[in-house]
Amino acid sequence: MASEAKLSHTAAMILQAIHAGYVYGFGIMEMTGLPSGTVYPAMRRLERDALIRSQWERQSIADAEQRPPRKYYRLTAAGRVTLESTRKRYPLLERLIPSEEAKPV
Amino acid sequence: MTPRSGSVFHAVHLGLLRAASLLAPANQRAEWLQEWRAELWHVRRERAPQRVVSWRAEREVTLFCLGAFRDALCLRPHAAIRERRTDLRSTSPAQCILWLALMLVASYALSLLLPGVRDASGASRGQIDPGLILIGHPTSSPASAATVSAAEFANWHARPQRYFDRFAFYSVARESVTTADGNSQWTVAHATANLFSLLGARLRFSAPAAGTDDSSAGAILGCETFEREFDANPRIPGSVVRVGKQLVRIAGVAPCGAWLPGKVDLWFLEPESAVAPASIGYVVAHLTALGREEMFGPTVSITAYGANDSAVDLFGTALEGHTRLPFDVYRFALLLALLCLPGVTSVSMGDYSFNSHRPSWPRRICRWSFLCAKVALLLPIVYYAPLDLAWWHISTASFASEYVQWIATFLLCLFGMRWVLLDQRQRCPVCLRRVTHPAQVGHASRTFLSWNGTELICMGGHTLLHVPGLPTSWFSAQRWLYLDSSWDFLFAGSSHTGRP
Repeated sequence: MASEAKLSHTAAMILQAIHAGYVYGFGIMEMTGLPSGTVYPAMRRLERDALIRSQWERQSIADAEQRPPRKYYRLTAAGRVTLESTRKRYPLLERLIPSEEAKPV
Repeated sequence: MTPRSGSVFHAVHLGLLRAASLLAPANQRAEWLQEWRAELWHVRRERAPQRVVSWRAEREVTLFCLGAFRDALCLRPHAAIRERRTDLRSTSPAQCILWLALMLVASYALSLLLPGVRDASGASRGQIDPGLILIGHPTSSPASAATVSAAEFANWHARPQRYFDRFAFYSVARESVTTADGNSQWTVAHATANLFSLLGARLRFSAPAAGTDDSSAGAILGCETFEREFDANPRIPGSVVRVGKQLVRIAGVAPCGAWLPGKVDLWFLEPESAVAPASIGYVVAHLTALGREEMFGPTVSITAYGANDSAVDLFGTALEGHTRLPFDVYRFALLLALLCLPGVTSVSMGDYSFNSHRPSWPRRICRWSFLCAKVALLLPIVYYAPLDLAWWHISTASFASEYVQWIATFLLCLFGMRWVLLDQRQRCPVCLRRVTHPAQVGHASRTFLSWNGTELICMGGHTLLHVPGLPTSWFSAQRWLYLDSSWDFLFAGSSHTGRP
């Protein structure tokens, strides 16, 4: 069950950052202030627990922008449920990393 | 720097990522390397967008690449368990105390092993007995010039005294001394044989007792002469030198320090009857209990009676003021460091909380006991470690050693106490583990609209520490958030102790 996943404080921040639209590793680091040696292993664990999934972008997109293809991350359904339960216990999370729909226009 | 140097940096960064990938499991290596390289492209674009290379930008990119090593280590089998065990061990209060205790034992053991330190410590246990004064005529300070004749000394010594129970006398002259290395002029003090026993001075080196057929007189070598002329060779005590026409056996080496006036190279110990009556010198006297009661300050006026019962005005100076022992240096440096401490860190314990929750009394006592234990272990380290540094080699035992000890004690105490306070502020008030996993939240530009700073969490799941990035009037000091049972799901995998 996703709601029973063993989440750390760091993992909760990463989940919220992905939900907020920061879908690349470096973007999550920028948003959360967590170092690279923490973010990537945490994302691998979240992926292992099926809370997020990763995907390589198409080569053609990367070629068009003349850069290497990038791996991006998305929340799974289980990840969204877990994030919802985490937010109830950690209301600051949403204020610290506001999601796209919550951002002021 | 030029774009060429930028490409050099880029090559170094790629090399770092490749090296990190070697630590990752073989079946995941290629994918990790690909992801790191892709992210590196974006990191470089964000951090160093211009063609001109800046050190700061390259440093940040390098930090990103170094993080790849941690990523790779986390992928190794049982890495999470190992990391967690390491985290728990490195943050535990027991380990902190253990490290301090080890440092204390090491510095103390070193002080016992190093001859110079042993000697300095030995001197500090009683270089000179208390209650000794140097007596002279008031026409000049007895500390600067010899004023008393041996005949006067013999007269006082023979008379019953109320304020003094023991006397010693010495006079200083330049004499020719012949050693194995040749002949030179030394400052030789002819002293009564009881001088060193009266002073209670511990000799740095003592020669074994001379045989019955040894006709040479005894002498004590001055500390500085021992180092200057003999390179602090511990085999010198027991050897024989010639003073004038007399053979003298070196019975030991005097402790270092200006503990008696005269800057003497050799103390020639003779029976009182052998001291020339016309020689002018210094009188050292030991005060009786009554004498100590009468002495209110470091100096005292004395009226003595001469051979014809005529009153003689004299001036006494306490000898303790002439010495500066290692413990005195330590005490002074400690005091100064403690006075300077508020200048380098806040002395507050940062016990502010978001809510009214307070840890129980036993836990608070435990926290204060932990602080006291750290300070109690630090203070002897601050004594022994600088002592080892300053007196580690016997030939350095000089006034320079005092300054080295002073500076080392001051710096070690100042920054040691700073560490103690910083460490204490980051200890969970419930379990005393150091809070970890710092997360930067918010942006400095939003300080006045929202909150920004660093959050650290207790691995035991007891507390969350909020440290403001920019202190404001409404959030100036760090605050603790005591986590209730609703947070348990975040720490479901940890074997932490119960909630407060």
